[in-house]
Amino acid sequence: MNIPAAERRTVITGLGIIAPNGMGTDAFWKATREGVSVLDRITREGCDGYPLRVAGEVRAFDPGVMVEERFLVQTDRFSHFAMAAADLALQNAQLRTEEMPAHRVGVVTAAGSGGGEFGQRELQRLWGKGPSYVGPYQSIAWFYAASTGQISIRGGFKGPCGVVASDEAGGLDAFAHAARSIRNGADAVVVGATEAPLAPYSMVCQLGYPELSRSEDPERAYLPFTAEACGFVPAEGGAMLVVEEEAAARARGAPVRAVVLGHGATFTRSSRWDRSREGLARAIGAALERSGCAPNEIDVVFADALGTVEADRAEALALADVLGPRAARVPVTAPKAGFGRAYGGAAALDVAAAVLALEHGTVPPTPRVTDVCHDLDLVTCRPRGVELRTALVLSRGLMGSNAALVLRRPEGEI
Amino acid sequence: MTRRVAVTGVGVVAPGGVGVPAFWDMLTAGRTATRGITLFDPAGFRSRIAAECDFDAAAFGLSPQEVARADRYVQFAMVAADEAIRDSGLEPGAQDPWRTGVSLGTAVGGTTRLEHDYVRVSGEGERWDVDHRRAGPFLERAFTPSVLASAVAERFGVHGAVQTVSTGCTSGLDAIGYAFQAIEEDLADVYIAGASDSPISPITVACFDAIRATSPNNDDPEHASRPFDARRDGFVMGEGAAVLVLEELEHARARGVDPYCEISGFATFGNAYHMTGLTREGLEMSMAIDTALDHARIASCDIDYVNAHGSGTKQNDRHETAAVKRSLGEHAYRTPMSSIKSMVGHSLGAIGAIEVAACTLAMARGVVPPTANYEDPDPECDLDYVPKTAREARLRRVLSVGSGFGGFQSAVVMSRDGGRSR
Amino acid sequence: MSRELTYEELASLMKSCTGITMDPQRLRDDPQAPLADIGLDSLGLLAIVSELEKRHGVQIDSGPEACKTPGDFVAAVNESLTVGA
Repeated sequence: MNIPAAERRTVITGLGIIAPNGMGTDAFWKATREGVSVLDRITREGCDGYPLRVAGEVRAFDPGVMVEERFLVQTDRFSHFAMAAADLALQNAQLRTEEMPAHRVGVVTAAGSGGGEFGQRELQRLWGKGPSYVGPYQSIAWFYAASTGQISIRGGFKGPCGVVASDEAGGLDAFAHAARSIRNGADAVVVGATEAPLAPYSMVCQLGYPELSRSEDPERAYLPFTAEACGFVPAEGGAMLVVEEEAAARARGAPVRAVVLGHGATFTRSSRWDRSREGLARAIGAALERSGCAPNEIDVVFADALGTVEADRAEALALADVLGPRAARVPVTAPKAGFGRAYGGAAALDVAAAVLALEHGTVPPTPRVTDVCHDLDLVTCRPRGVELRTALVLSRGLMGSNAALVLRRPEGEI
Repeated sequence: MTRRVAVTGVGVVAPGGVGVPAFWDMLTAGRTATRGITLFDPAGFRSRIAAECDFDAAAFGLSPQEVARADRYVQFAMVAADEAIRDSGLEPGAQDPWRTGVSLGTAVGGTTRLEHDYVRVSGEGERWDVDHRRAGPFLERAFTPSVLASAVAERFGVHGAVQTVSTGCTSGLDAIGYAFQAIEEDLADVYIAGASDSPISPITVACFDAIRATSPNNDDPEHASRPFDARRDGFVMGEGAAVLVLEELEHARARGVDPYCEISGFATFGNAYHMTGLTREGLEMSMAIDTALDHARIASCDIDYVNAHGSGTKQNDRHETAAVKRSLGEHAYRTPMSSIKSMVGHSLGAIGAIEVAACTLAMARGVVPPTANYEDPDPECDLDYVPKTAREARLRRVLSVGSGFGGFQSAVVMSRDGGRSR
Repeated sequence: MSRELTYEELASLMKSCTGITMDPQRLRDDPQAPLADIGLDSLGLLAIVSELEKRHGVQIDSGPEACKTPGDFVAAVNESLTVGA
């Protein structure tokens, strides 16, 4: 049933990036290409007293500039990121949505924790002052659907609207949802994920993740695929992209950046990273099959790179299982080592990075990583120029999901 | 060839009755489960009523460890899933776990425990830089909504796609809709699909107080949820879960199972209008209904019953009546349309799944559940709302609709041709 | 102190409760300009009503949040405030 739907293929036409290492495509790609690391001590208000010291903050983000002033009061930072990223993506795609039928433009976001900072403020009002001090915007700002709703309303998008409240892998699942909406008749979908988990109470909640890096040293806190791997560093931000039905995109002369070929998702239990080897391998297998793509066509892998030895080993073995002896020669990278894992936003940023890598024929490096202890061709230190046609993006979630997405560089006009 | 999607198992945790038999008894009796809030002391709140579940996790087979790890909404989902799987007759390990998925919805996830622990770590709201040393165990599981689908998947050894869906108050319909689409598209053969929420906590009650969306009829809680009635004054919050086993029809037949019914159409759209407000015309909900009917290849005049969102707010019931009339035309006046929220309250993300469960049972048993408390007609709501008393009817095509904060408008179409009554 | 809601107070409440900046003079000059045009909706009006309730220690009945213009809103709020006086 997958193939007849191929008549309505999904292509990426716009990138909107709000990342710790850069906002907007140019700044993000420059920093990513150069392997700049921006991991640093956490500076957000009230966040400095916890055994979680290092994160990727989006320090350049001024919400008062990026979104309308009223949203500062009315919604959470994760939605500010989402709205700003959606604006950037729509500009980038040069999509004139006001000229399109409203019900053919949809929105899908993944959300891992919702509007935690906003929620904490309202909890403080409730418990510090009383129930009547909780404001009306609490009902629309804390919940996981806030960003999809705000983007849809702000843009007038009445197409299929969805929210995957999943772990990291949900950031890739959102693209599968968007592709389904396109197959079922939407012309364009604004899709991606942004997160804002760096508020005091949200940080306290994350302390329970055993995979969290508690290192105080920004240079050593997140070193995936090395023997020193000590967990992942969280981040805020993410990416929203514009995807369109290919024929519609080409008809309007849109810049087709990449084709979303196929997606696969599996589940292998939380905290059982050994089992994620099979889960990830099967997710990749399913994504390749649905893409009509052979394993030897994969030119670059954007790894999940959780950053624990066990999880990294499982990922390396999964790639070996799928790619065979070629696994040791296919370039693998994890740009997020330079700016952290923004949960669902991390997967969306990897999709954006993969699109840019395909366009530039350049595999960006894995920042700060030098001594790789797994049998992988991990790109380190400097970018690698190489002919790229097909990219594989991987993501695993802390609650046990595994996902794979295959992207391909567009080939001329059809 | 189109793959068809059967419902082969149902499990429900609802206010007024845990388990399908108690739930069905209540719906057909037209009994209401709305009452004064007991889960916390509601003094000082505008709305002090809710439909609560009398839920004893241990009595439903959850171990103390499971209870400690899982939030109330996750416990609901586990118990409802147990019942649904049992009902379906699926044996763990008898089907391909990589072709089995989980799709569960929730609107507010673990907010109840998040609030509980917040009070401790903040010294009752005293400090912004809360004290992490006072946090309880497993707090990260309250923070992470994907726990819902993950916990149910672990319980049943599922290895296919596992997803938590959170589209506000359409989460339940959408979670079932996504599972339906995945089976139809041959991504899986079996799905455990549904939704759960346990939102009855001070912060959630307060946020609906702030927008005056909930009923302040604290003196008469049993009659406070009055969908479509002229004297309706807001929704009554509920909690609960419903889980369905969805199965590719031939897969079900191959193991000799006679399904309840089929899910045959689904659609969702945004209204791009307002985060909480609804239009008078209901164009986008109508579009969801039309698209779901097209998907199901069913004519609007064949709909035998509409399970309404019917939350009991002024705006919603008028919006929805307009939408159904727009899609069904004159046939709307001949079609019973009821809201079980009059009895079980509005459990936010869970209710869509509870309503699909109610539709499943209604089709299999040939009974339309009523709208309790419906007394005074509202001129803007002029359809047949099945006042107070359940009605026998042969139901072959049923529509369930929902609206959610954020502008979500969803519709699920269900069909039953023959099949055993259960 | 007067209990009546003025356009100055409304403008200041709009800023603090809903994040919308508005010159009070503009409200006074055109009290029938639609609130929707400046992005002020029923949630925003409820936030303002709630703040007024606390300031004046009274309960304001449902109604003002449905107003479509600043003039109507001020009139509706003042009706509630003076009735309570």
